Amino acid sequence: MTQQMLDAFQVIADPSRRYMLQLLSKDSMTINALAENFDMSRPAVSKHVKLMQAAGFISISDIGRERYCTLRQDGFKELQQWINYFDKFWINKLTKLESILNDRKKLTGK
Amino acid sequence: MKKSIQYTYFFEHSPEIVWEYLTKPELMEQWLMPSNFQLTPGHDFQFRTNPMPAFEFDGNIYCKVLEIDPLKKLSYSWKGGPGNGITTMDTIVEWTLTPENNGTSLYLNHYGFEETVHLPVYPLMQEGWKKNIHKINELIKKAQHDTANA
Repeated sequence: MTQQMLDAFQVIADPSRRYMLQLLSKDSMTINALAENFDMSRPAVSKHVKLMQAAGFISISDIGRERYCTLRQDGFKELQQWINYFDKFWINKLTKLESILNDRKKLTGK
Repeated sequence: MKKSIQYTYFFEHSPEIVWEYLTKPELMEQWLMPSNFQLTPGHDFQFRTNPMPAFEFDGNIYCKVLEIDPLKKLSYSWKGGPGNGITTMDTIVEWTLTPENNGTSLYLNHYGFEETVHLPVYPLMQEGWKKNIHKINELIKKAQHDTANA
């Protein structure tokens, strides 16, 4: 299965992921330690961690037999720019306008 | 660093129809956002969208109609921020319509973005970074120390 890719805004849209980032802002943590703070299974936590890693919010390093999660700045940089938010916003809106006008064409022929 | 957003879309509709979708609030709402827009120069209006507290955005976009050239050009200011009258985004949205191949080419230019806008996103995170950077420094120092003593 190919891994789902989320952009920075989709990453922080989820409350659990926001809380994970908040916990990691205090210190690096193992995935197990992180999972103790949540009512979800370890694989579910691990899935969130992988999504955040892919989006540049955290890095994972193997130390001994444990996997440690550490915050990375890259993901947050994207959030600090309005232009990144509105770039996605306009693609979204213009695509919607396009489909509305296409439907109108089908219905009325003009 | 990019300071503007530009997109061109082609629609198989006359500029009259595309213009309506850019200037009639009930049609704008269908694809853009609800607003109290009026096609009057200098008119102040607002768009409302979902707030994103984690992004320091209250969901309100404050606008003023700047330029109207019927069926050809429309521009308005586009400002927003975390609320309480604080503006962290002060930009301009400009629409240009050109008749083309029995349709309309619509050009969007959203410009005026600051090169670096330092939104106070997650002050907590900043603390986290400082700690991590500090740790890295410690590790480097230790490594240098070890090498020096080797």
